[in-house]
Amino acid sequence: MARPSTLSHFATLLRKDLRQEFRTREMLTSMGIYALLVIIVYGAALALTARGIDIANMGGGLLWVLIVFTSLLGLGRSFAHEKEQGCMEGIMLVPLDRSVIFLAKAVSNILFILVVEVIAVPLFYFFFMTGQPVAPTLPAIIAPLLVGTIGMAGIGTILSTITMNTRSKDVLLAVLFIPLIYPLLYACVTATTAAITGTELWTDLFVMPLVLACGYDVVMLLVCWVLYDFVVSA
Amino acid sequence: MNAVEAKHLSKAFGIRKAVDDVSFELPEGAFLSIFGSNGAGKTTLLRVLSTLARPSDGQAFIYGIDLKEDPDKARECIGMISHASMLYPDLTAEENLLLYAELYGVDDPKARVSQLLDAVGLSHRRLDQVRTFSRGMTQRVSIARALVHDPRVVFLDEPYSGLDPHAVEIFDNLIESVRGDRTFVMVSHDLAKGFGMCTHALVMSRGRVVSFAPKDQLDYDEFARLYRETVGMGVA
Repeated sequence: MARPSTLSHFATLLRKDLRQEFRTREMLTSMGIYALLVIIVYGAALALTARGIDIANMGGGLLWVLIVFTSLLGLGRSFAHEKEQGCMEGIMLVPLDRSVIFLAKAVSNILFILVVEVIAVPLFYFFFMTGQPVAPTLPAIIAPLLVGTIGMAGIGTILSTITMNTRSKDVLLAVLFIPLIYPLLYACVTATTAAITGTELWTDLFVMPLVLACGYDVVMLLVCWVLYDFVVSA
Repeated sequence: MNAVEAKHLSKAFGIRKAVDDVSFELPEGAFLSIFGSNGAGKTTLLRVLSTLARPSDGQAFIYGIDLKEDPDKARECIGMISHASMLYPDLTAEENLLLYAELYGVDDPKARVSQLLDAVGLSHRRLDQVRTFSRGMTQRVSIARALVHDPRVVFLDEPYSGLDPHAVEIFDNLIESVRGDRTFVMVSHDLAKGFGMCTHALVMSRGRVVSFAPKDQLDYDEFARLYRETVGMGVA
């Protein structure tokens, strides 16, 4: 019996998470419905003011509010299966690098959030942006969405591990999550808004924030990777 | 070489010592039953010995492997059955066992899983989700999970909780059939059953060892009296 490689452990754990989610669709369904509800609330909130305001300039911010709260809901549930029946302990008994548990869970969370974004972002565009002039840079919103999602899923995964055994885990997760992702969120909102409006200050309002967001992702994911063993063992 | 060894082992949570200066040696093939009242530190001791918790002080060894220095090496030798099944309810019995077999790097995982499902009498339910199983059936799959990598030491943490008498009988027969030269360490509240199965008995109170001895040196009535006195001492 040879100990499998880290990559093999990662693939096995990721496959398990995907199989489980696509069988139960718990995270995807709850996140999808929540995203739809937020869009409906936006519709009511903006119904009377839409004529007077420039929705394109608010689009980036509104879109990220939708993504952050939808992700928060999913991330809070991402360890529900691990906690049930002591599965996390079963995995912890296996001789493997604990950081692989983080990596597999973070990647599965990224994929689930991206699936919801693929549905929610076009819906958001359809309901609120169809009357607006389309900037040629609009497809560039994919970059901040991807960078932001990776960072949020990484930070959210470690925070979800920390809070999974606490009594008021949902509140605690939100209280820790929002301040930690704030720099990333700020950068991604700026870049997304720049892509939607097609600003002339492209380097300042799109490229720089995106570079900062990428840097933030790298630093935070490395910190999460290094700390995960301590977090799950404590 | 001893299969399990603890040397002045302690585990503290803040200022409270859940396990306090515990020492014992267990030879290969032995079956140790650990008794004590709620809060005596039995489960914490088991968690430390199974590498799920780090000791605050002292040392523990599994076949001479220091748990602090090389926990991964020790984990290769350890299996654990607890009242929680450690199985994913939405995966099938076969998927659960394959998951653990692949994580442990078992050679030919499919054949091993098939063999284990046969052994626990659940081959016919291998494609059913664990969520649909009774408590007794789930615990049988849990035995298969714990043995998937053929561990030399198996820890049992109150494995009978929630089982009906028929399931207990099946569980006992299964444990007996896989016993071989494996070493077992079981935490139990059931004195008669735990004493009946063991080769060594350990009584804990307030994190400390009150008594540790091979069964052949113990008289059951005397031991039962000691146990009742110890449990009467209450929670730490």
